[in-house]
Amino acid sequence: MIGSGRKRLLIALAFLLPNLIGFLLFTAGPVVFSLYMSLTDWQLTKHNQYSTESVKFIGFENYARLLWGDESHLFWDYFYNTVFLMIAIPVSIAGSLLLAVWINSKATPQKPKSKMKWGMIGLACSVAACLGAWVLASPSAAQDVMSTRSGMTDLTEYQVQAMQRNGLVLFVGIVGAVITAGLFVGQMFFRAAFYLPTLLAGVAMFLLWKTLYRPRGGLINSVLDPILGGIERVVVNTPAVIWYGTGILLAFATLAFIGRSMMAGLSRYKAKETGGFALFGRAFILATVGISALGMSLVLVQLPEKSLLPSGYESFDQATILAIGDEMKGVEGVDAAEVDLIVNALGEGASRADTLSALLSDPVLALNRASVLEAVGQRSERVRRGLTAGHETERGGLQPPDWLLSSRWAKPALVIMGIWLAIGGGNMLLYLAGLSNIPQSLYEAAAIDGATGWQRFINVTWPQLAPTTFFIVIMSTIGGLQGGFEQALVMTEGKADTIVLTYYLYNLAFTDDFQLGLASAVAWVMFAMIFAMTAFNFRFGSRLTNE
Amino acid sequence: MSDRSPIEAATGPLAKLARPATFVALVLLGISFVVPFVWQVLISLSDRSEVDRLTETGFPSRISLDAYVRVFDQVPFAKYFFNSFFVAGWVTLLQVITCSMAAYAFSRIQWPGRDKVFLLYLGTLMVPGVVLMVPNFVVILGLGMFDDYTGLIIPAAFSAYGTFLLRQFMLTIPSSLDEAAAIDGAGHWRIFTQVILPLARPGLIVLAIFAFLFNYNSFFWPLILTQSENLRVLPVGLLQFNTTYGSDVPAIMAAALMAMIPPIILFLLLQKYLVKGIQLGAVKG
Amino acid sequence: MAQVTLRDVKKVYDGKVVAVRDVNLTIGDGEFLVLVGPSGCGKSTTLRMIAGLEAITEGTISIGDRVVNDVHPKDRDIAMVFQNYALYPHMSVEKNMAFGLQLRRLPREEIKRRVTETAGLLGIGELLNRRPKQLSGGQRQRVALGRAIVRDASVFLFDEPLSNLDAKLRVTTRTEIKKLHKRLRTTTVYVTHDQEEAMTLGDRIVVMSAGRGVGVIEQVDTPLNVYRYPKNRFVGAFLGRTPMNFFDGRLVEAEGEVWFVAGPEDAPSIRLAMLPKHTEALRGRVGAEVTLGLRPSSLSEHPMGKETAAHSTIRSQVQVVEPLGKNIDVSCELPDGSPMLARIDARHDFPTSGEVKFYVDMEHVHLFEPGEFGASLLHPEGAPQNETATLASGA
Repeated sequence: MIGSGRKRLLIALAFLLPNLIGFLLFTAGPVVFSLYMSLTDWQLTKHNQYSTESVKFIGFENYARLLWGDESHLFWDYFYNTVFLMIAIPVSIAGSLLLAVWINSKATPQKPKSKMKWGMIGLACSVAACLGAWVLASPSAAQDVMSTRSGMTDLTEYQVQAMQRNGLVLFVGIVGAVITAGLFVGQMFFRAAFYLPTLLAGVAMFLLWKTLYRPRGGLINSVLDPILGGIERVVVNTPAVIWYGTGILLAFATLAFIGRSMMAGLSRYKAKETGGFALFGRAFILATVGISALGMSLVLVQLPEKSLLPSGYESFDQATILAIGDEMKGVEGVDAAEVDLIVNALGEGASRADTLSALLSDPVLALNRASVLEAVGQRSERVRRGLTAGHETERGGLQPPDWLLSSRWAKPALVIMGIWLAIGGGNMLLYLAGLSNIPQSLYEAAAIDGATGWQRFINVTWPQLAPTTFFIVIMSTIGGLQGGFEQALVMTEGKADTIVLTYYLYNLAFTDDFQLGLASAVAWVMFAMIFAMTAFNFRFGSRLTNE
Repeated sequence: MSDRSPIEAATGPLAKLARPATFVALVLLGISFVVPFVWQVLISLSDRSEVDRLTETGFPSRISLDAYVRVFDQVPFAKYFFNSFFVAGWVTLLQVITCSMAAYAFSRIQWPGRDKVFLLYLGTLMVPGVVLMVPNFVVILGLGMFDDYTGLIIPAAFSAYGTFLLRQFMLTIPSSLDEAAAIDGAGHWRIFTQVILPLARPGLIVLAIFAFLFNYNSFFWPLILTQSENLRVLPVGLLQFNTTYGSDVPAIMAAALMAMIPPIILFLLLQKYLVKGIQLGAVKG
Repeated sequence: MAQVTLRDVKKVYDGKVVAVRDVNLTIGDGEFLVLVGPSGCGKSTTLRMIAGLEAITEGTISIGDRVVNDVHPKDRDIAMVFQNYALYPHMSVEKNMAFGLQLRRLPREEIKRRVTETAGLLGIGELLNRRPKQLSGGQRQRVALGRAIVRDASVFLFDEPLSNLDAKLRVTTRTEIKKLHKRLRTTTVYVTHDQEEAMTLGDRIVVMSAGRGVGVIEQVDTPLNVYRYPKNRFVGAFLGRTPMNFFDGRLVEAEGEVWFVAGPEDAPSIRLAMLPKHTEALRGRVGAEVTLGLRPSSLSEHPMGKETAAHSTIRSQVQVVEPLGKNIDVSCELPDGSPMLARIDARHDFPTSGEVKFYVDMEHVHLFEPGEFGASLLHPEGAPQNETATLASGA
């Protein structure tokens, strides 16, 4: 090494200085500072250059408030929201693995076929040119636009057909382009296409998804609508028993299957054939399958009820709801107070479907289903004939939800988007790298030993990818607990119960009262949680990867 | 005789479907990933009234760039663009400089306390960003960098992760090169600039890409650190635009689309480096 | 145990690149056959076709009397040992060995019995609970062997199993493999690029080459036969611890005998009289350009065989003398500048420079057509049928 120890130190410092200053000022220092702040009652609205009050040291009071005190109700609610959104994580990791395996398989060429690549680009360009020409030549709408209540303008049938034709051509073009790219550019294309969402994840992307989730004109609901409509038609036209029966059968079958599989797994474990890891993995997969299957059966059982409101979906005003409620109180065995609660919850107006299901949620009323249906049906008839105040709107039954405004569906909407965003991202690339590092001879030995494709995956691929998975899970957990803020802010503005912990922190620190102290406490609680989860993952995972 | 190995040939008819089935699955997924963007383009080119029924007609009745014009009319969008590039550009430049210098100090010079300080750096990597949000705000406020370009650039110009990445990269350069240069009479600065930096170029490029993308998409910090409109960067500007003109869906989509283009271009050009960079960061992690 | 037959086997990649062709082999039941040759000669490809890891473009491969061209590897009743062992990293040694048996649904006690027995045979009984990464290279190799043995397959396939071991370990493991084969008597096909391994292990060896653009078999015979009677120059050069000496020259007729002459007419550097028993075969080739092949061990300071001195000596200048214990390697230079290596019995005061005269063992010289694959003039068909040299006959 050059120079003396002292001199080296000076030189090193010279190189290090700008970075070090930044580090101390914006990373190391703030960490300590934050800890201090969390122990104070610092509020910018109370303690600033204009006020005379000074910051008080209050010890763990902030933490107490958060964890079991005044703010705890909010805090744990938001914690639940954060964790809910983290459902996207295991699903997207599994998805990334699946995508990586698919891309890596021989289904698509590993390298672009060189001559073909240029041919393909040329082809794509010419297709685009044709499309462009066709589109430009398409008929244009009338200049004056008259909108009806639902937004339909005054267009001739011919014009609508022309537009649909263009749309179809465009769609066919997309499909063709994707297939061509897949066949000739191969892996590189899919890798890039799937990575796009991760790359662009940001406000712009969230705005796009906000549009996609629009209840009437959004892409998602327009795809869902016909699907749900089809299901509804099938369900309404078949006896309800089928659905109840299938649902119950499915539930039983699932339980039986899980039971048997666990027994088999336990016996293998006892016989020392497989280790604890395999047993845990089995339990985990069974749990996931079980929950999905049971959820499915739950849906099946409820289908008849939910779809049983075909054409003519009305809504009642408050008076009508009250009247129905009074009638219900006359049913034998009904608790009047319960009915009052239900009626109050329905508010100033509710749809027929909501009214019905709310009433049927009362156990006694559920037993008297016929009378409930009678009461509601009568009112509905009157609404339809204009004798009672209410609205007649479109089709009822199974309708796609108003995603971002519905407190029930907003979080799932964010989860779905989260999965779409993450599935083709960094994790997939990591898995691709991991897959390419697996020596081919392991697969060959397994084939000679007699392993089928699935067995090869379990015994060669999955164990070889264990370190990668381990890393991914840890990183995702750390990120997941802190995430969700941007999405919530852009897409729902925090409404519909989508506030996550980070959003809470933002609200506390940078809006309203600027409660910096409390907000810092939130941050440190989150830190503790992250730390705990990471430590758990670490301990658990490293034992797993070394087993 | 086919070219498929007996392992593939001897599988049942169901398994033979595996290859084409996988391809179909990939294509379907590919389409589902591409369609939202195409949708976005279509909306951005349509008339305001047509937005909601676009799903029924499949195509706008008339294509126009009006929405794009509206974007620039209603907000200083060009300024937003400029701000984003300006800030991200400066951050990238500064990060590359400071991190490479620091990485050099950590990997090429033996000095007392080196490893302890590096451990400190590593330690902060474990600290989640959440913890830094509030204190940094106060610090920046205190330093008078609030609502100013410096507030957006200076704090971000430093990155422990970047230092870590470059250090790992530099460790792969054999030290015999340093020694040969030293014997030739070069001092540390010269070794740094003429030996190490050129060899570390791939790592520098990776860092630059990451830094640029991260900063370009950065939303939270600009949100809390800037107030005035002419300092807005794209993410914040988009949000603001949506809050005010949210009902003008084509314009929103047009603005979003324009904001998405630079990363796409960057990605298409430098795909290779990006992919490698992710893998590099993970392996050492 | 089973016989393995390859008939006119050919492998083509991507419809264009021919990897190996004209492979015709009959491997007897219980035989240990070695495929040896430089890289690219198609030996591994051939092995993998037998295993079922590569498709066979043309020809047939049969194990027993069953044609197995399209049969899945797991149904061919074969076991394979890979160059890099291919042990499942996350499974214990015991599990590694048991895996194939478990997949075939053998009863648990049977599996346990086989694994313990094989582990005992290979001396890895105490390693059963360890993971591969905790084992040394030699131990891993034994586990790989164990995995193959435990299957009780009809055919064992080895793909350069010793290449990853260090030199000493290679030699000891080699002997162990040979001992195992003597005991188990399973039909074995073994691939290596090391000619010494081939010579020591094989009942018969198959020398393959890639020099003519595609992998082909050059010669098939017992090791000793191939060593003594190489069919062409390539085989002659390939086998043997020390490289064979080659000298370009021509055949002339003089004094009623056929002579090999190298160097200018007036001052030949080599002038050797061929043995009378070879004269018949060579008479028709007088005047032709030929290459003389001479193993270093065929040179000596004293006359060998019954020939007279004048006709079978070579004079040369000593360059470097390397003592090797029992032998000395002498690097010399002939008058026309060509180099020559001689391996002779050691003696104390062998001169380190100056001229020296060597006697040539004319029984064991080789004459080839010019070119890397020049056919042998004396033994174009390899070993003479009546003179098949085997270890049993003590030749």
